[in-house]
Amino acid sequence: MASRETPLLELRGITKRYGPVVALHKVDFSIGRGEVVGLVGDNGAGKSTLAKIIVGYHQPDEGEMYFEGRKVRFRSPADARKMGIEIVYQDMALVPYMSVYRNIFLRREITRGVGPFRVLDKERMRRVAVKLLEEIGIKRRDPDVEVGVLSGGERQSIAIARAVYFGAKLVILDEPTSALSVKETEKVLGYVSQLKEKGISIILISHNIYHVYSVADRIVVLDHGRKVLDVERNLVTPEDIIEVIAHRKSPEEVVRKLKA
Amino acid sequence: MAPSQLKRLLLIPLKYREVGVVTSIIVFAGIFYYLNEQFASPDTLASIATLAAELGIIAVGVSFLMIAGEFDLSVGAVFAASSMLAVWMLNNGYSFPEAVIAALGLGAAVGLANAAVTLIGRIPSFIATLGMMWMIRGVLLAITKGFPMRLEVEVPELSIFSAPIAGDLRVSAVWFLALAGVFHFILVSTAFGNWIQAVGGSPATARALGVNVNLVKTVGFVVSGMSAALAGLIAMSRFKVVEPVAGVGLELEAIASAVIGGCSLTGGVGTVAGAALAAFLVSEIRTGLILAGAPAYWYIGFMGFLLIVVGIINLRVGKVGVRYG
Repeated sequence: MASRETPLLELRGITKRYGPVVALHKVDFSIGRGEVVGLVGDNGAGKSTLAKIIVGYHQPDEGEMYFEGRKVRFRSPADARKMGIEIVYQDMALVPYMSVYRNIFLRREITRGVGPFRVLDKERMRRVAVKLLEEIGIKRRDPDVEVGVLSGGERQSIAIARAVYFGAKLVILDEPTSALSVKETEKVLGYVSQLKEKGISIILISHNIYHVYSVADRIVVLDHGRKVLDVERNLVTPEDIIEVIAHRKSPEEVVRKLKA
Repeated sequence: MAPSQLKRLLLIPLKYREVGVVTSIIVFAGIFYYLNEQFASPDTLASIATLAAELGIIAVGVSFLMIAGEFDLSVGAVFAASSMLAVWMLNNGYSFPEAVIAALGLGAAVGLANAAVTLIGRIPSFIATLGMMWMIRGVLLAITKGFPMRLEVEVPELSIFSAPIAGDLRVSAVWFLALAGVFHFILVSTAFGNWIQAVGGSPATARALGVNVNLVKTVGFVVSGMSAALAGLIAMSRFKVVEPVAGVGLELEAIASAVIGGCSLTGGVGTVAGAALAAFLVSEIRTGLILAGAPAYWYIGFMGFLLIVVGIINLRVGKVGVRYG
């Protein structure tokens, strides 16, 4: 279970503005090792902004970030990746026109040779790619096939497998199930549970509360850039969460129910 | 062999987007050989490669940039401006290396300016480089008042650009083939090439994975600008005179070559080798028409026709190839 002592990642008082629009207002967020946190909220709640700040795509205007207890500032996604934080976007995890192996090793190419004369070690990259495809259970194990012809679930899985292969400690999944069939959704969510067992922390961003609920340890609700709820999954029902997001129930009501 | 296996084997070439241009080269070679047996000689091959050099070098740069997802319409203007700068410097007592460095530097500077306008100004490169094209042309026309600029001094070093090697083969063909080889290799066999393809195919993905999108594109713009400058120097070394309207239309021929060679207008797809082969094809058609006794002007009409046909083939065949690949 997630350790509560030193969170893997902790955000304190994160604020992000786009001109006059406050996308995030003093948001605190943390996730432990091997913990799965569901990050939910309506459109424009700030989920993606928060995710993009965590992975260094955006920089916060205020607030601090701590990774493994140390204060960090990510100036780019490359910084965050170096620390072991990866994000898998729903529709842009992979480059469709590029082969599977080129995608897996994008920005982490295996090369041989020295100095400016380094060339890609395509055979080694292909071998690793085939191994990953096997692990995920994709039938078509051709590392040279263009990613564009694979199914949404296969692409999603490849992107997650890539993150894990490169030693990600925290994987953020942005709407991983939104474009998938029911069967593929099950596969991807099953894969999330596997990762958790390996001790990898996961932030799951989704509109589908039931998908989140089925795998998350904790659920965080954002509303107009503020964190309104942060609870252990076991203490609430999916309906509670939906009611809060839809403003039919105040977060206080849900919390009061918890205390009762 | 099972029929499905055979089908697979037959479809293997379709995985390669250069299939359209290679087929065209072979088909036209057959036609021109039929029209004039002289076509099948090493001399003809050499003269095709030499004729292809200037467009080919630019097509190498332009396709490299197109694969990174950006256009460069200013190459024709850079072609004229850089060679004119070199002529002016040589006429005014500057040394050969100085003139060459200045000309290539001008190409690189225009590339940087194109990159800055496109990436910082956040406007499409089509517009940015179209504006750049007219600005440069305007300056050239204003300075020269429309008159050509002649090289008035003897510069033996110019032979490194276009001296005859044997028969119709000139050094320029070697430059062309070498650059095509080098940039093709960079594209398919280095990490940077991987980034180029990713940046053109999906900039958001590339950025999310930590690729410095603007840096990669900037390199592409600079390569394109410098390729145009080099092509300009080669043309100048041969004719010893530069017109302010030299290279008008070269930008479109380069883009057409890239497309015929399998590049996509939206980036991320294609190879440098394909574009180079397409430049070779264009030159093959020019040479073939001359040998067949047709007026050379026909070639531009042919090229238009070819662009459309190969464009359609690339689109259809590309899809089939991906499905069975």
